[in-house]
Amino acid sequence: MTEVSIEKLTKDYGQGPAVNSISIRIAEGEFISLLGPSGCGKTTTLKMIAGFEDATEGAIRFDGRDVVHVPVEKRDIGMVFQNYALFPHMTVEKNLAFGLEMRKLPKDEIRTRIAKVLDMVQLTGYSERYPRQLSGGQQQRVALARALVIEPKILLLDEPLANLDAKLREEMRVFIRDLQRRVGITTVYVTHDQAEAMTMSDRVVVMFGGRIAQIGTPSDIYERPANLEVAEFVGQVNIIRGKVGNRVVSTAFGDVPVSGDFADGAELMLALRPEAVELLPINSGATGAPAKVLSSYYSGSLVDYRLELATGAVVNVQTFPRTRFADGDQVLVHAPSDRFWPLGIVA
Amino acid sequence: MSKPFFTVYCLIIYAFLLAPIAVVVIASFNAGAFLTFPPQGLSFRWYLVFFNNEVFMRAIRTSLWIATLTMVISGIIGTMAAMFYVTHAGKLKETVRVAMLAPLLLPEVLTAISLLFFVYSVGLGTQNLVGMIVGHVLITLPFVFINVSASMESYDPAWSLAAQSLGAGRFTRFRRIMLPLIKPGVIGGCLFAFIISFDVFTISFMLKGVGMSTLPIQLFDYLRTNFTPEAAAVSTCSIVLTMAVVVISEKVLGLRIHRF
Repeated sequence: MTEVSIEKLTKDYGQGPAVNSISIRIAEGEFISLLGPSGCGKTTTLKMIAGFEDATEGAIRFDGRDVVHVPVEKRDIGMVFQNYALFPHMTVEKNLAFGLEMRKLPKDEIRTRIAKVLDMVQLTGYSERYPRQLSGGQQQRVALARALVIEPKILLLDEPLANLDAKLREEMRVFIRDLQRRVGITTVYVTHDQAEAMTMSDRVVVMFGGRIAQIGTPSDIYERPANLEVAEFVGQVNIIRGKVGNRVVSTAFGDVPVSGDFADGAELMLALRPEAVELLPINSGATGAPAKVLSSYYSGSLVDYRLELATGAVVNVQTFPRTRFADGDQVLVHAPSDRFWPLGIVA
Repeated sequence: MSKPFFTVYCLIIYAFLLAPIAVVVIASFNAGAFLTFPPQGLSFRWYLVFFNNEVFMRAIRTSLWIATLTMVISGIIGTMAAMFYVTHAGKLKETVRVAMLAPLLLPEVLTAISLLFFVYSVGLGTQNLVGMIVGHVLITLPFVFINVSASMESYDPAWSLAAQSLGAGRFTRFRRIMLPLIKPGVIGGCLFAFIISFDVFTISFMLKGVGMSTLPIQLFDYLRTNFTPEAAAVSTCSIVLTMAVVVISEKVLGLRIHRF
């Protein structure tokens, strides 16, 4: 198992840095996701860790040893590509054997290791198939097996689920995560899909414009986003504004106490996730702000409402469909004050 | 176009393309003394004459030797050029392509004359086969280049990256991953090089040394003074040889010919 440490890593193609002095420490066996929109530098970072791109500046350490000048083929990485990149002229077995042959392992050990890894990815009996004879999900598992069978120091995955359909994608999330836990390999996973990053990772690195916006556990990222950009990228969010006075923000939902140093009179942005809001009938007598239902979208397990508050502000609310409200209904909205998260002062 | 009409149409085209070959082959079995069609009786007479003609036999050996060397050299250079063109040329891509195809665009006789000047000005002369092979490589290069770069277009660079991540160095990546996957293009290009080299006249004529001869030159020479069916026998052997090369490489190397 390997600890990976990225220090002030920078990549500049000549038009300003694509990756700008980022530092990440990845613990042994940790599953880290690099999450961000396209062009945020996440793939470039992965390529630098793999060695496909040279770093302009900075260090990448595997267990303390700087590998920046080690070529890809000597870096001992396992990589899964977006389109799997299985060798089309080789059977599954030959694909898996390739990396082991490069390591000059004896034939019988190669055979044992392949049998073991095929069992691990549940493809025993497929060793004589060619990649074109496999489904997308099976190809994906072969690609994983090929990366893992060499027992690399670190596993790198570049949007590996992007080409699969929605149902398979969710299955593969669980599959990859379980496999990674069992093997215990340090893993870096690149994705632009926040749900993928959240469900699979120990920690998520959110990147924008070549910089790290936030590093944290999925719940850190979701519940305590570092700024507006992160809050909006990771799921739906309502931005509630209010003036600070005496460590309290007065909002349409009532007064919300805030910790942190905000000057009185400043206008603050608060993040409020749609599912943190409760909806109550207008005549329930509970405390809450009155609002009107603008529209609702039923998706089976959940209902999404768009509501208009008395102030004219629109909020999105997500609830379980126990009580349904019709468009135009008057309702009460209530949000516990600990579900608001300050994002900063309105510029 | 309706189906029966289309079938007839295709048959006519094939007949048009193959009729001259058929005429030559049939004429070669002529028992008479002159090259005529239809033949006057059938015999292997002229084949025996041909096989016992040391001049022709020497010419055919020279041609095969040159075609083989040309194929190997052109195959290597053309494949390397195609690899550069597809993966590394970048902004130079169009320039590289035009430069590689230039020998196809220039009149062969011009290329031949310039080469003749060239081999003498660099002191190479025409005493040995070097100048001739340079010429043959030059005109066959575009065919290797076109074939290999076409098969490179369907080569996913991620395959090389994957091999590299698994620990394969540059040479191993080429030998075990890229070469097997672009093989149809390489073999197709090499076959073109062989056949064209075997068949080319103008370049060989200009660059041949005194007393040296390739099969097409010898045949031309022969037909200037003789008009026997031996010429048809020579041509038929040449056709059979060329086809043998194609068929054998398909059987041995598993070539799927897409662009013939």
